[in-house]
Amino acid sequence: MKKLTVIPEQCSGCRICELVCAIKHFGVNNPKKAAIRVLVTYPHPVMRMPIVCSQCKVPTCAQVCPVDALRWVEGVVQLDEENCTSCYKCVEACPFGAIYVHEDCDLPIKCDMCGGDPECTKKCPKGALRLIPVAVLAESKRLNNVLSYTQMKEIEFYEKGEKKIIHYAEIGKEEL
Amino acid sequence: MSIKSGYFKKHLHVDLTKGSAERLDLSDAFVEKYIGGRGFGAKLVWDNLKKHDFKIDPFGSENLLVVAPGPLTGVYLPSSGKNSFVAISPATGLYGDSSMGGGFGVELRQTGIDVLSIAGRAPELSVLFIDNGETNIIPMPELKGKSCLEAEGMIKERLDTHALHVVTIGVAGENMVRFACANTDWSRNAGRTGIGAIMGAKNLKAIVVRGDRDLPVYDVSGLVAEADKAYRYMEKHKYFKVWQQEGLMNVIDYANAVGILPTYNFKDSVFGKHNQINGATMLEQYKIGDSACFLCPMCCGNICLVKHGKYTGTVVEGPEYETCAMLGSNLGIDDFATILSAARLCDELGIDTISTGSIVGAVIEGYEKGILSLSDLDGREITWGDGDAILELIQKIGNRQGIGDILADGSRRIIEKWPEMDKIILQVKGLEQSAYDSRASISMGLAYATSDIGAHHTRAWTIAKEIEEGQNWSDEERVDIVIYHQTLRPLFDMLGVCRLPWIELGLNERHYENFYKYVTGKEAPLKELLKLSNDIYDLTRLINTRLGMSRKDDSLPYKVWANPPLTGPNAGKVIDREYFQRLLSLYYQKRGWDEDGIPPAEIERRFED
Repeated sequence: MKKLTVIPEQCSGCRICELVCAIKHFGVNNPKKAAIRVLVTYPHPVMRMPIVCSQCKVPTCAQVCPVDALRWVEGVVQLDEENCTSCYKCVEACPFGAIYVHEDCDLPIKCDMCGGDPECTKKCPKGALRLIPVAVLAESKRLNNVLSYTQMKEIEFYEKGEKKIIHYAEIGKEEL
Repeated sequence: MSIKSGYFKKHLHVDLTKGSAERLDLSDAFVEKYIGGRGFGAKLVWDNLKKHDFKIDPFGSENLLVVAPGPLTGVYLPSSGKNSFVAISPATGLYGDSSMGGGFGVELRQTGIDVLSIAGRAPELSVLFIDNGETNIIPMPELKGKSCLEAEGMIKERLDTHALHVVTIGVAGENMVRFACANTDWSRNAGRTGIGAIMGAKNLKAIVVRGDRDLPVYDVSGLVAEADKAYRYMEKHKYFKVWQQEGLMNVIDYANAVGILPTYNFKDSVFGKHNQINGATMLEQYKIGDSACFLCPMCCGNICLVKHGKYTGTVVEGPEYETCAMLGSNLGIDDFATILSAARLCDELGIDTISTGSIVGAVIEGYEKGILSLSDLDGREITWGDGDAILELIQKIGNRQGIGDILADGSRRIIEKWPEMDKIILQVKGLEQSAYDSRASISMGLAYATSDIGAHHTRAWTIAKEIEEGQNWSDEERVDIVIYHQTLRPLFDMLGVCRLPWIELGLNERHYENFYKYVTGKEAPLKELLKLSNDIYDLTRLINTRLGMSRKDDSLPYKVWANPPLTGPNAGKVIDREYFQRLLSLYYQKRGWDEDGIPPAEIERRFED
């Protein structure tokens, strides 16, 4: 199972994701009909954050839906277009504000992962939107955590005349 | 074949004096002939001039401010987030335009209009709010004295939403500083020709737009296929990553290497400490993020933060090449943090960094040469690289305090007050020169001299090509490349897209005829579009000549004739006056204008309808 992952530090705010989403789902040139939007704050803090459905396994939107039109199925919170009454309770309930509304559209606009191959991840020129297997989510954070472990010690050595540093953690000492 | 889509065919005209707004229809013939952007702007400004018998005070309520995106603005293709501001410029008293990126033009179109024109003057400081089909003029006197950034924040807070776009002016615009900007998306500016000052004169602090409508596109899937080809081409370009990382800052090293970097008010064209203010320094120490205009993969906007020293905490979007050169090497500043601080100050005040850098540089040199006395400077000494004094002076310009009150009126007034400054300040027609030294390239000189808005590189930027391969160009080749640039580059401003994918990454210009075709449903070969763009060049020329301009105004700054750069690859080079005049005659001849640069009567007849 893969997850559409947002890396806001990489986002430039170009909004290509918005438009390709709208074109794919509605066939019209209108970024206001996208299921992903980039929110920009400046200058405190400087942030460009694409906001899109996280496909929560325990979805708040589904919990508040009075007609049970939202369900988590195989990694995607799917909207049952037949039963949805467009009451927008899900829009207000989503903790990320990731479900959108447009006056022209009968239904709330929600990311459907393009059937597993999201257009936005393919067209993002910055790699800020990625499709990542859930098993490796946050792996880079784990790695960073290891590398920044403060109890590490280091020694310098030379390999083929080039100075290098090796880090190591000393075993067997209790410094609690 | 005629236009099938691509336009709403609506023109919103707002009269701030009457407090009225009306949606007028645009004919097929109009949108086909003028395309959009500066094409619409030039035509509406021309009609307005005729209505007022060619007597328009740039600060008068009769000066029409046109805000015009193009038919490609906001549609799916690379870098389509541009729109133009057009009016009679307070800097030059002639035709003026300036374009801005960001997302404002896109959202303006989404309100269902192709062009906005603003006349009159609001009785008190106001905000124009176009909310889809509804237009309101809302008095907001509480915004008086607020910076561009503060005003944008306050408006979003008052309207309780982020989901709209705002153009604001700062204190400099309110004070009608003749090179004040209009600012959007926090830091994207329509920088040149004093657009912000016109808004100030109209008591218009901001224009706010919220639009939800689909943009009209004739063939969406055709457009997507064509645009994706262009995107893939750009992404594979060898300099694509450099553009994403450094944006226009990569030009600093280039300009220094070839000897065109303005240094000490163009006394020199290489800067010894250029590597302290270049892209690499920015990346290593200051850059914290990228910023892109709508649909642009190049994201040339850098976001920088000063993390140490006395300017700690300064956040700025930018700088780009012009800002960094004009507020950096041109003023002898070798500290990147000081440049960032000056750039931020200009953003807050809402003044153009090119004109500001040029004028401050001239003041420093004027003082050095004894043209300006210490009392002229209000007793505050200013020298090259003196960051504190420079920041103070910029502050005084924006607020029109002391000497700042004179400087705020731009180079014309400065020369009136101190005639010897004519030899110091670099300007054409009253607009200060951009950061490319034309002494290294006569075609660039011709470009500055014949640009319809004054000494700006937006109409033609031939300098790199001439340096690389044009040392032995014939006169004809020099004139031809200037005219080609002056035809193609303004076409981008008419279509409402950015020219950087073409000029910097070599994206084939033929893509644009296809984009135009898929959006409008009308097949027009590039040649035909260029012809329409050329017509607009005739029209802006006509505006200028009818306002009194002629051959004598198509000139260059004194330094270009008389003071060569002191060191570097172009040391000793100046432009020969006689040779320049010969090229100018050839240029007029090729354009079909008379020996005095006046377009003939049959050209004027083309714009009668």
